[in-house]
Amino acid sequence: MSQWSAIPGGDEGEYARKVGTSMRNGLQEWMNGHITITVRGKRFERFLNMAVRQGIQVWNIRRVGTEVSSCDILLQDYFRLRPLLKETGCRVHVQKREGFPFWLFRLRKKAGFITGVALFFFGLYMLSSFVWQIEVVGTKKLHPEMVAKAAEQVGIKEGVWKAKLKEPQEIRREMMKLIPQASWIWVNIQGTKAIIQVVEKEEQELPDPIGPRHLVAKKRAVISTILPEAGKKAVTVNQVVNKGQILISGIIGNDQRQKAVAAKGTVKGEVWYISNVSVPLTRSQYRYTGEKQEHQYLLVGPYALQIWPWQIEPFAKAESSEERYSPSIAGFSIPIGWKTVTHAEVEPVAQELSQEEAIALAQQIAREDILQKAGADAAIRDEKVLHVKRENGKVYLSIHFSVIEDIAEEQPIVASPPSPDPAP
Amino acid sequence: MRRWSRRLRNLAVGVLDLPQDVVLEVPRITMIGHLQMYIENHRGVLHFSEKELRLLLTNGQLIVTGEQLVIRAILPEEVLLEGRIGGVKFLEKT
Repeated sequence: MSQWSAIPGGDEGEYARKVGTSMRNGLQEWMNGHITITVRGKRFERFLNMAVRQGIQVWNIRRVGTEVSSCDILLQDYFRLRPLLKETGCRVHVQKREGFPFWLFRLRKKAGFITGVALFFFGLYMLSSFVWQIEVVGTKKLHPEMVAKAAEQVGIKEGVWKAKLKEPQEIRREMMKLIPQASWIWVNIQGTKAIIQVVEKEEQELPDPIGPRHLVAKKRAVISTILPEAGKKAVTVNQVVNKGQILISGIIGNDQRQKAVAAKGTVKGEVWYISNVSVPLTRSQYRYTGEKQEHQYLLVGPYALQIWPWQIEPFAKAESSEERYSPSIAGFSIPIGWKTVTHAEVEPVAQELSQEEAIALAQQIAREDILQKAGADAAIRDEKVLHVKRENGKVYLSIHFSVIEDIAEEQPIVASPPSPDPAP
Repeated sequence: MRRWSRRLRNLAVGVLDLPQDVVLEVPRITMIGHLQMYIENHRGVLHFSEKELRLLLTNGQLIVTGEQLVIRAILPEEVLLEGRIGGVKFLEKT
């Protein structure tokens, strides 16, 4: 036991190293070329020992016949065998040649074919180094043809050698000069395709020049504020105005010198509305019963295959929601997915409203209705319930609202301006 | 003189715990089943055929018998033998 323990642990490692690296080297054998020889002679063992002692690499030695053996040697060692053969009286015959030198030699025989292959790849490479296609991307108002023509002037056209193209920055600068409507141009070469990306300038649309105009009242109202920016103020605060009455006049100056301008400004007035609303005292609502059904589907392409449950007993009334799951691999979605549809049963429930609740609801409805009619910047100043009537299970209300809203409306001044007449 | 050297070597093996193949000039053989055999410290090939490999040792011979024997690699002191190895036999020099 003590003797075994004396042997270092890496016993097999040592063996592998010897067999793997020092005894054979496959790559070296192939690079140098190796041959299989048959040796005919009575003193083969002596020949073998001498060869090994001289440092000739010999491997795959096997006895073929009674006086014939075969072994592999490196090509370079072949000529070193001659003195050994003379001494031992053996004869050598080369059986097989393998490795890089022989491969080269064999290649020479197929020179035509090889040059053909090389030429093919060369041609493919040459052809792929030209621009064969031009694509214009991103044009809206500009005609792609026009962009392509500009590109041709810069040097990008079909059949041009990619190496002859200018620097991308320079191409861009020149293209921008040729197409002033573009705010950004980029030429991207993908393989044999030149993609010209164009971003057009967003041209600002000028507002139409405003002709001379008045601002007149949209509806009958009491003026609450008036702020003229251009034009002459024609009414005062707290004045009642009728529909069509001039609020800010576009005619400025005195009787001798007049000028028509586009009146501008904000005029707000108090407008009265009466709205009639009716609200039923009973209303029905849907309520969840808590019953739920889940249906599972397998999605294959555009089809959904129901998997579970087998039989569906549908609810009388239900709300359904669905959830889809489709897996994607590395950004690519696959046409198989999963869908879960959940049906939740609902049932109608009748709700009784008290009169107060009904009135509050009616007022709410009326308010929303008024604001919608009066415009976005309107504000309710005051509201008053005028009349409440209960009839046929409904509550009828008429409500008075006073709303502050923008009452100005534009009216162009034509030929002879009507003389601003004072408010009645 | 020779006997003295031999005794000294045996002593070294016993006392210093050195591996025997290093000190005594005997072959070291590694076998993988009956398929492969790796012999170190041989002194040359005496005979080789499909059924037998006879190696010269420092004091004797090593006879490996088997079938379809092939020398996969050979170096001055090492041999890698493959085939179906049937038996290994030592012949002590008389």
